[in-house]
Amino acid sequence: MSEATSAAGPSAASAEPAPVATAAEQAAVELDATIAGIEQRLAAWAAETGAALAAMSGKVTGTAVDKLIRPVVEELVQLPGGYAAGAGFIANAGLLGPERSYIAWWQGPDLEPVDALANFSPNSISRYVKAEWFRIPVETGRAHVTGPYVDFLCTDEYVLTFTHPVFARPDGPVAGIVGVDVTVQRLERWAMPALRRVGPRAVLANADGRAVVSAASDIDAGDLAAPDEPCRHYPVGRTFTVWSDAVAR
Amino acid sequence: MLLSPEGASRSLAAVFTPIKSRGLVDEVCGRIEQAVETGLLTSGQRLPNETELAAALGVSAVTAREALSQLRASGIIRTARGRSGGSFIADDVLPSRERALAQLHELSRLQIRDLALHYQAIAAACAGVAARRSDAADVATLRSFIPAADDDPPSWRLALSEFLLEVAAIARSARLARELIRLQADLGTFTLLPCADSGYRARTRVILEDVAAAIECHRPGAAETEVKALISATTDWLLAEQAKRYWPDDFDPPH
Repeated sequence: MSEATSAAGPSAASAEPAPVATAAEQAAVELDATIAGIEQRLAAWAAETGAALAAMSGKVTGTAVDKLIRPVVEELVQLPGGYAAGAGFIANAGLLGPERSYIAWWQGPDLEPVDALANFSPNSISRYVKAEWFRIPVETGRAHVTGPYVDFLCTDEYVLTFTHPVFARPDGPVAGIVGVDVTVQRLERWAMPALRRVGPRAVLANADGRAVVSAASDIDAGDLAAPDEPCRHYPVGRTFTVWSDAVAR
Repeated sequence: MLLSPEGASRSLAAVFTPIKSRGLVDEVCGRIEQAVETGLLTSGQRLPNETELAAALGVSAVTAREALSQLRASGIIRTARGRSGGSFIADDVLPSRERALAQLHELSRLQIRDLALHYQAIAAACAGVAARRSDAADVATLRSFIPAADDDPPSWRLALSEFLLEVAAIARSARLARELIRLQADLGTFTLLPCADSGYRARTRVILEDVAAAIECHRPGAAETEVKALISATTDWLLAEQAKRYWPDDFDPPH
């Protein structure tokens, strides 16, 4: 995998002299594949959930939502070597009741329910409307990554939360969001070897330029960083970047 | 991020006793008390039955039943029999001045001072790191927790604890954040008392603005100093109040 001379896929067979992927480029491709993999799995889950909600006859109930969501969460969090610390669905106001949300979210291998007491509150939507991981996908109708941030609601850990809006009808209102929590600790474990191959001062940064995982010892997860030109920029997933050379801001 | 401390407990019985893990029953009770304190569950609202509660919190029905009976004993919920029966959040459930005073008088001056020192150490560590790591969005969120001078005392108490939790969130340290949450639970309800004093509220508002400004301008030293001052403002008020219990009955306090 780390051979600097390995060829760059199918184009190697074309008539043009093939561009040779460096070890750094290949490592960046691996990082992108993993983050994009999480995002694609989430998008597929959102589509399945939307279709299943649309197919529900009559009133959508909490029990029905639990039954729909829990098997997928179980699969995600129990995946050996998987990335999900927790996952679930949160209903937008209107799906189950006017001011009502509904949370079907579980964490850990034992599927501990998260914040389920809120489901007994008539104004539970007030609990989520301000949270970035809920508000942005609902307002924009697009996928979003929140963090890294300290997640007081679920894990009390330093996490990234990937969320995706769910539509029961293509032109309809956002029915809710599906999401996955990924701890930075777990991300560091699989991203660090690839990051080191990009460079000794390589940093995986979020859209705000905050370090998520860093190979440089003076930049920690959570620190604001900046590319140190000349620096190669590799896009990772929808919003992240790997900088080959970074400095602390 | 906008939520109040997990497991915030009204009970001060556990303060300064050796750390043991709270039983599951206590944990369930703590969650419900916290839901009440943050306004998620309100007076008169019906609680789920023990089967529903057990399922929601992932505990056994026995644990849920014991928790409901403990909540009943401590006056958090009341139970009605009959066709429209069930468990309801009690009417006088929000932290009251009387209960807060009773809690304060259970503590010695030494305990209050030591608790304050610990709280200052953790909060100052959070503030110092937060001043290094803050961005514009962080500071805007932090300022949104600064309460208005005429907000009621329970809102003030909640806003102050959430302001400090946000400082921990900006520091982006899960360990410090968890420690802060535990300390806030240990502090209990007596921090409600100073929030009823308009002089305290005015002084505190100035300090909150100063903390936010220091974090915004990336001045770790100033952020630490201001956060310590914030906690001292509360402690000094509480110590002055607590000292009153030692006044002789015929003592006319200086003004």
